[in-house]
Amino acid sequence: MKIIGVTGGKGGTGKSTVATAIAHELSRSSKVLIVDADVDCPNDHLLLGLERKELKKVYQRIPKWDYDKCTQCGRCGHVCVQKAVVSLIGINPIFVPSQCNGCGACVIECPVDAISWDKKIIGTIYSGRKDNIDLLSGELKINEPVSEFIVDSLNEIIEEKKDDYDYVIVDTAAGIHCDVIAALENCDIVFSVTEPTPLGTHDLDLILELLLKLKIDVNIVLNRSDLGDKKIVKKIAKKYNKEIIAEIPYSKKIVSSYATGKRIIHKSISKLIEEYIK
Amino acid sequence: MKTITVLSGKGGVGKSSISASLSLLLSEKNKIIVADCDVDASNLALVFGKKEDDFVEWEPISTNRKAVFDLEKCNSCKKCFDSCYFNAIAWENNKPKLKQFSCEGCEVCKMVCPVGAIKMEDVYNAKIGYTKTDYDFNLVSAQLDPGESGSGKLVSAVRRKAKDLSEGLDYLLVDSAAGIGCPVIASVVGSDYCILVAEPTPSSIADVGRALEVVSHFDIKAGLIINKSDINEKYKKELLKFGKEKKLDFLGEIPYDKSFSNALVEMVPVIKFDNKLLKNFQNITSNLFKKIN
Repeated sequence: MKIIGVTGGKGGTGKSTVATAIAHELSRSSKVLIVDADVDCPNDHLLLGLERKELKKVYQRIPKWDYDKCTQCGRCGHVCVQKAVVSLIGINPIFVPSQCNGCGACVIECPVDAISWDKKIIGTIYSGRKDNIDLLSGELKINEPVSEFIVDSLNEIIEEKKDDYDYVIVDTAAGIHCDVIAALENCDIVFSVTEPTPLGTHDLDLILELLLKLKIDVNIVLNRSDLGDKKIVKKIAKKYNKEIIAEIPYSKKIVSSYATGKRIIHKSISKLIEEYIK
Repeated sequence: MKTITVLSGKGGVGKSSISASLSLLLSEKNKIIVADCDVDASNLALVFGKKEDDFVEWEPISTNRKAVFDLEKCNSCKKCFDSCYFNAIAWENNKPKLKQFSCEGCEVCKMVCPVGAIKMEDVYNAKIGYTKTDYDFNLVSAQLDPGESGSGKLVSAVRRKAKDLSEGLDYLLVDSAAGIGCPVIASVVGSDYCILVAEPTPSSIADVGRALEVVSHFDIKAGLIINKSDINEKYKKELLKFGKEKKLDFLGEIPYDKSFSNALVEMVPVIKFDNKLLKNFQNITSNLFKKIN
């Protein structure tokens, strides 16, 4: 069993396109699970053309006040770094659930034990299946701030189910934030998909630096390789002692396949699988 | 001063390219400032041809506090390890060790430590600065160190910095990150108007819907720009229908054009690179003016 991460730094470079293409190709002879860890905006089900079914809700703990016990001392609001609790001396605390990350400072610090635990829904995990590919898809509830918790929940399910599969492919969000780190943490190999523009390479530089810090092995996949300046990507690759291992040229066919949810086949994907995954 | 925020949900649909060209046209008759609020991967300056060295100033900034352990004082009671909701503490050789990328700075470990072995320290994990563009307005930008947390707070700092520099200005244009998480919420809150950028693909349609929900939550008026509008007729219709149903102002469309990527490579806003898309952007700008005033 191998866990393969697909990331990229910049948005829209083709992460999901590459992740689903790898899944399709591998699924011809192996058991494949693709995990959509772009929980802010999950799209892999659209690219695979499948209906997702709800698997479970993801909860986060939040505090709950017993106003009979509360002495309106203002301590809970004072210790809340997230500013989810507003408490002034002499009034009951005002709680903004969407701001709360569940740290527990208010519960610990309340001098009269007036705060206990409740929970809120922060997202949903969906599952789906098509063409011999299983999908796990996480989706953050709107206006919830902590994407990472949904990715953590996906990671728990991966841990449980990974031995049922030959390959688990984790498709991350854009950026280099905690949700991306959580998604890549357990990967055996990571592909960073970029494009040959200054924006693509700028963000590639950041994600390579991050992966180096995390000691995760990474390879560079260059998408729309003929639109732009390949030299600038090579320069960044060299800085990290990496090579561009696959190039996918721009093609109208790929764009229209993408726009209509059809699978994408390209020889560079087959080659990448043969040489770097198997 | 009015704040206009550009967002899309899905990444790579053209937010930064569109923000850059739009800001050029906005600045023709108004005094403006632009803020790059994609602080994880800030690259709007590159669209204007400005690299890090071209900035007037960079100042280090702290967006977070992190726990520091005094291992001599530590009595190995493990209470900090047990109480960290973010699993940010590892337990090695019977002592705590901070997993720095996971620490949210909530101070719970410090609160539960019975021997006072934990203190909080500011971490300078980001920098913020501004540059003069070649078009008579400033651009504020920030960069979070890779893996560090606190992007929402850094977005707020960028907007504050823009406000500090904005005396006598008419508009602040905010280019937000992809997604709908913490940094995007921080970009949207307090805006006067939001511009949603979408392309006619199923992914973008789904994601712009989610972005709109964030905008609607804060009760902010919004308009829609369709980029790469000619790549799929069916999904373009679907986007137009979506816009109508959600009562979005339709600001205009931009057809797919290779000059978008070529302009990025040359590091100039697309309307300066090739004027064939100028009409589209002028049309969008004039619609935008009507809607925000």
